[in-house]
Amino acid sequence: MKIKEEMKGDVVVIGLSGKVIGGPELVEVKDAFQKAVDQGHSKVLLDLGKVSWMDSSGLGVIVSGHTTLSRAGGALKILNATKKIHELFIITKLITIFDTYTDEQEALKSFGD
Amino acid sequence: MLPIEIRFPSDPSVLEPVQQIIEAVGRSADVEEDELSSLSVAVVELVKNAMEHGNGNDPDKMVTVSFSIFPNRIRFLIDDEGTWEPEKALGFNPGEGDELLSTRGRGILISRNLAKWVEFGLTPEGKTRVTLIWPIA
Repeated sequence: MKIKEEMKGDVVVIGLSGKVIGGPELVEVKDAFQKAVDQGHSKVLLDLGKVSWMDSSGLGVIVSGHTTLSRAGGALKILNATKKIHELFIITKLITIFDTYTDEQEALKSFGD
Repeated sequence: MLPIEIRFPSDPSVLEPVQQIIEAVGRSADVEEDELSSLSVAVVELVKNAMEHGNGNDPDKMVTVSFSIFPNRIRFLIDDEGTWEPEKALGFNPGEGDELLSTRGRGILISRNLAKWVEFGLTPEGKTRVTLIWPIA
């Protein structure tokens, strides 16, 4: 799994790629959410478009990010969840918690709503 | 077909190879390409539970996955070295109420939803055995 971070306006876009299967690398994702808050950014868009495989470990770290960012007064939103990942959000009912988008511009704009 | 067995330590570093093996098993049984990742997620979730709840994440303790391919289904057996019950190990329903925001505990829920047929039981030696049946169209 790889992590890429970039600023788009006042939103931190974190892109994950590869397999999100658990282990120490998930700590990096958790740390990326915390780092955003520590640097004064509480709006994060998580791009999952290049994630080829994910299970409950990935969902766990996403929920952790949601809690971290919500407490900081911001939000974590999801971009480009694949069909399989979207299915996991439905099974676990996390779809009721997260706003999901397939268009980056629309997603970025939504933080200003 | 007689069962084929793979045995590995309770170490997260083996999860990716195990995931690849499960997808290879599915491919050899003509599981549709689009369904292979769902199959491997369903099995890997149970493997992770076996490592954690059955073996206490002790790398000296082993998890055994055996599989048998039949004309209309694949049967996976996931064995660990402990004896545990899923409801007691979990202690809550991660898909409901305040637990919705738990950072863990969704593995069995996901596995049961993807595979449709997941049953917890015991081996003849009294250790935990999970049976997962994956139908083949």
